[in-house]
Amino acid sequence: MDLNFSKEDLAFRDEVRAFLDNEYPKHIKEKMHNGDELTREEIVEWHKCVAKKGWMGHSWPVEHGGTGWDATKVYLYLRELALEGCPTFVPFGLQMVAPVIWTFGSEEQKKRFLPRILNFDDWWCQGYSEPGSGSDLASLKTKAVRDGDDYIINGQKTWTTLGQHADWIFVLVRTDDSGKKQEGITFILVDMKTPGVEVKPIITLDGDHEVNEVWFDNVRVPAENVVGEEGMGWTYAKFLLFHERSSIAGAPQMRRNINKLVNKAKNVFHGDTPVADDPTFKAKVAQFMLDLDALEMTELRGLAAQREGKSPGPESSLLKIKGTELQQRITSLAVELAGHEAMPYGGPYGFTDIEVAAEKSAQQSAPKYLNFRKVTIYGGTNEIQKNIIAKAVLGI
Amino acid sequence: MNLSYTDEQNMLRDMVSKFCTTDYDFETRMKTVNSENGSNPEHWKMFAELGLLAIPFSEEQGGLGGGHTDLSLIFEEFGKAIVVEPYLANVVLAGGVLKRSNLENADELIAGIVSGETQISLANYEPMKGFNLDNVDATISSDGQINGTKSTVLNAGNADHFIVFGKSGDGYAFGLVNRSSDGVKVVNYKTYDGFVSGDLALENCKCDAVFSAENALEILEETILDAIVCVSSEAVGAMEKSYKLTIEYTQQREQFGQSLSKFQALQHRMVDMFMETEFTKSFLLKVLATEDSDEKRKLIFGLKNQIGKAGKIVGEEAVQMHGGMGCTEEMSIGHYLKRLVAISHLFGNPDYYLKKYSDS
Repeated sequence: MDLNFSKEDLAFRDEVRAFLDNEYPKHIKEKMHNGDELTREEIVEWHKCVAKKGWMGHSWPVEHGGTGWDATKVYLYLRELALEGCPTFVPFGLQMVAPVIWTFGSEEQKKRFLPRILNFDDWWCQGYSEPGSGSDLASLKTKAVRDGDDYIINGQKTWTTLGQHADWIFVLVRTDDSGKKQEGITFILVDMKTPGVEVKPIITLDGDHEVNEVWFDNVRVPAENVVGEEGMGWTYAKFLLFHERSSIAGAPQMRRNINKLVNKAKNVFHGDTPVADDPTFKAKVAQFMLDLDALEMTELRGLAAQREGKSPGPESSLLKIKGTELQQRITSLAVELAGHEAMPYGGPYGFTDIEVAAEKSAQQSAPKYLNFRKVTIYGGTNEIQKNIIAKAVLGI
Repeated sequence: MNLSYTDEQNMLRDMVSKFCTTDYDFETRMKTVNSENGSNPEHWKMFAELGLLAIPFSEEQGGLGGGHTDLSLIFEEFGKAIVVEPYLANVVLAGGVLKRSNLENADELIAGIVSGETQISLANYEPMKGFNLDNVDATISSDGQINGTKSTVLNAGNADHFIVFGKSGDGYAFGLVNRSSDGVKVVNYKTYDGFVSGDLALENCKCDAVFSAENALEILEETILDAIVCVSSEAVGAMEKSYKLTIEYTQQREQFGQSLSKFQALQHRMVDMFMETEFTKSFLLKVLATEDSDEKRKLIFGLKNQIGKAGKIVGEEAVQMHGGMGCTEEMSIGHYLKRLVAISHLFGNPDYYLKKYSDS
């Protein structure tokens, strides 16, 4: 075992750095640095910039346009991106529906959708949860009825992240309700422009519009858009969730954020000394750092296993739980550091119309903290993750 | 030893509780939160008529002579309905300074607060200066000129006057500043918990009066201690409501063919929320039952630490157990969390007060 990087690895890291120095759009970099909101166009621009370099498929098989990197390279790549403060990739196409398509989809579907996902020509979103089906996802009721060569979909999905920007949605629909609830679920791809699809915003605690309800009113979708077999959707859905969960942890971003926070704390006074010198604060940071090391190493173990051909399994729940807990801890620490400077509320990105005495990062800390309440809930609540570990990993 | 409230105190609680349950449902609250000045003049008038605005002032000052316990009762009920009306800013903070001051027309200003006709905000904290009350740069000159920048000025947008704390000579003093005086610039904003606050820039501004130069810092400290008792009580009310709402929600919400409240893992967590609330309530009662003394001061520091930690735990757990719905603006539970987090940082965060507790 060896944690040192080879010469080749270091050369690769430098290549990533050079790419970021030269090609990461400056205006996006600046916005990310200031915590400003990116427009849809800017998010697309960033993905296209990576796609042009040929690096979008870092987790994809080579035959579908993947980079073929080993675990170390993937790790170095994602770490460099995170340290540079790049926007995270919109995961719904790239990391969620794509593995389902290349594993279970038809040749036509692979040809039709995968290159466009890899090039970020299509923005995907997720149609999983319903108002009555959250943790108990399999109880979903959105119905699809076969009508000639089409299905007709009726129902409502919710918590659809960035659905307002999406071109396509992958949807779990019920095509049969005669058997067990896990049976009779079908995985289908729907063009968001289809008549009868309506996106309604949900405003979250931080005041942001990030998630949506997606309504289906007699939406007619060609049967060729069903992935795999009708009625097998639950199997594909779980496969996708394992992939989703294994990409949620976000250790490199957290490393960057905690370093930023500690730096800031050098110039923040709550009492007589800088917060960075306060023993209680230092203890919290130290505890965070060592938890982060353990998380990152667990993530690396998962990556190494994936490189050996193993698909992420139920053990990805470990990363989801710990990763999201740590993400929340850091947003909490940021609010603590800001103290009452966090009070002014100018929306999730701070004030843009008036000059407020509190620093922008302080203004953004509370909305960010509030927004991040979601992370222990989405992708399957952490309570559900513990059920999965108990059942599928520990065999209890 | 006697740990019960008096009959009058129980009546006071019933009165506030009645207002909160009949006149201040969540929808009404959110209308106020989303209104331009963030408070409702009708409610303020009602508070004045009910005598609520007179509670902490002495009878000589035209008040009802109430103490910490009376204020605590009011705020605990406010916390259950997350009331955003500017009671803390006017009655506790500005009123707290005025009633202890040597300002000549203090009684007149207090009368204005009591009748609800005058609104006054205390301006003591400054940007990036932390929580130490004496850490200010604002200056008040001997001829009453005031210069400086203030932040976290609660209810600044609605204030007719500001009481500004600043350096004066070798010590500190308060300056009474009329909102419309030359050299006063107010920046209003909403705060994330649904309240209103503001920044104040004062440039060669002429005060209407300079007062309490002998003991301004002590007055400020005592006033902030009052305020801590108030927001702590508010937090206790908000915590109680949070766990109750969570029980209610988990009883209604069904997943896997049964209500969420049937799951033992969640039951234990709701028990933890209940316990956090009860122990915090006990600490609050210890403070209320202690005579004014250095010991009480120390206990108030401890209380601020306790509510900061416990309030956040209860608020976060409540949102978590409400799932996705808990993260929406539409549901009340997240608004309790917002207020609980804001309270944990107002006047100084838990770590700051743990240190003060251990140092005193």
